[in-house]
Amino acid sequence: MQHIETLIKEKLNSDIRFVEGLNACMNCGICTAICPAAEFYDYDPRTMLTIVQSGNLQKIRELLESDTIWYCGQCMSCKTRCPRHNCPGLVISVLRKISQETGAFTQSRMGRQQYLLRKGLGNALLNIGYSLHPSFIKPADHPEQGPVWQWIFENASEIYKTVGANLDEEGPGVLRKIDKEAMTEFRAIFEETGCLELFRLIDQYSSIKALELGITNEANQPDMDQYLHFIENEQETSY
Amino acid sequence: MEKEQKHVAVIGAGIAGLHTANLLAQSGHKVTILEKEKYPGGHLNQWHHLFPDHSSPEWIISGLLDEQLQFDHLKMISSTEITSIEKNNGHFAINAGNELRIYADAVVISTGFKLFDARQKEEYGYGLFKNVITSADLEQSLKSGQPLTTASGKTPSRVAFIHCIGSRDAKCGNTYCSKVCCITGVKQALEISEMLPETEIFCFYMDLRLYGSKFDDLYLQAQKKHKIQFIRGRLSEAAETHDKRLQIKAEDTLSGRPLRMEVDMIVLLAGMEKNEAHQMFSSTKLLELDEHGFFKSKNIQLTRNETTQPGIFIAGTCICPMSVNETIENAGAASILVNRYLEHQQLTNHHE
Repeated sequence: MQHIETLIKEKLNSDIRFVEGLNACMNCGICTAICPAAEFYDYDPRTMLTIVQSGNLQKIRELLESDTIWYCGQCMSCKTRCPRHNCPGLVISVLRKISQETGAFTQSRMGRQQYLLRKGLGNALLNIGYSLHPSFIKPADHPEQGPVWQWIFENASEIYKTVGANLDEEGPGVLRKIDKEAMTEFRAIFEETGCLELFRLIDQYSSIKALELGITNEANQPDMDQYLHFIENEQETSY
Repeated sequence: MEKEQKHVAVIGAGIAGLHTANLLAQSGHKVTILEKEKYPGGHLNQWHHLFPDHSSPEWIISGLLDEQLQFDHLKMISSTEITSIEKNNGHFAINAGNELRIYADAVVISTGFKLFDARQKEEYGYGLFKNVITSADLEQSLKSGQPLTTASGKTPSRVAFIHCIGSRDAKCGNTYCSKVCCITGVKQALEISEMLPETEIFCFYMDLRLYGSKFDDLYLQAQKKHKIQFIRGRLSEAAETHDKRLQIKAEDTLSGRPLRMEVDMIVLLAGMEKNEAHQMFSSTKLLELDEHGFFKSKNIQLTRNETTQPGIFIAGTCICPMSVNETIENAGAASILVNRYLEHQQLTNHHE
């Protein structure tokens, strides 16, 4: 227990985003006032920052294991307003990374969704260079797109041309096919910046969580497809 | 030994300059006050009532001017802006417009402050939305004697005061507290409430710094008698609604909830800033400025009114934000230090 808290402290202090993001908070609440997430969730960036500022590692650890740090949309509006040049959004991005690195993310519902994102957006990025692509939005899964979406989906190559896009084609333009050379470079960046290592850690901690929850196959190994299904349908319980 | 009459130039005829000049004239020195505006009195000319006693500032200015009349050796030159000051052999030559050149044994700078330009905080809409005004605008409105109305002439049903505009804010470069705005807000809230008892009034603050004598009494009165609501939270923005009301966003930090509210009028409690005149003195290396651009005292504890240049003194809000009574006290302190300096100069001259 002591060891993890020391590790958290080290990780916080060695991250430039933390050093730059938290100067000294005077609790004026302007970050919460402008925060779009605070309007929708039981979420208060000011309180989050106060906890981190307190240096109470037990409380910081609880943050890493909570839903709280995953509500932020990283819009950085807080940075535009803070009268002390703090940036709760940056501090949150550090907390998220530490949560991923220590496995604390598997302790909360919102945190567990990291696995969903890593599998969905993460794999898509590594495979085609886009986190989202029109082909992912299957009409059957997205009734909110309306009936016209079925038609757009079926006639994509012609329709995207009419709005100036270059869907899945060689050459320049929006939604173009990302060429091999760019993809190689892109994957190298992911490797070099430690992103792939984070992906690996998310996979590893999520498997452990699946085992812990008894989501296993006949060979008593974690069943990750079932785990994905589980976190996709997990209900809010925190409030 | 007979005293040789010394000459002191006082720059700026706000209350600090007027009071220092009177005290120095009373000590027998020849005094010349230089004022860039047409009339003396400075910012107080635009102010309706003072905290904490709601007295009118007019009697302070007229009192100081009446006092002047008894001194033949005190004169005031108005509509005159200084272009430079030179120091030669311990004496000063002050150059002003109209080829005016004044020699002095000592100089008192009492150039005051500049009101923070609230347009810099674009997110609050001053200069964009007609129903967003500053504390200074409100004073003028109160001074006019007309009932307070919105831009379209309606009686406001809700007014919000916003504290710390241009103060304690690294975003506009002013990290210090202007210190008089909290009590100004409370005073103005009380005045609006007296005038319009049906109007709901809210004060959005970070910390209420009611440091002065009787300031907390006004706060108590505001809450108890006038039901003025104090909400601890800094506004993130104000937006105009289709019917020209204003929607404001803040966090009520004491309950930890985001808050949205519509009001008819916003009063921004604008802080005090360095005067542009300061730059002229520092650019010639004659004087040093502090980290906020106000004049730097030789010693912040002991000799607040002495600058880093012997013979040049400072009085009032060109040193830091001050209330009216603090400014008067400060001007008194400045005159004592000027006297001490001139006496010392006299002795030194005799020995030479």
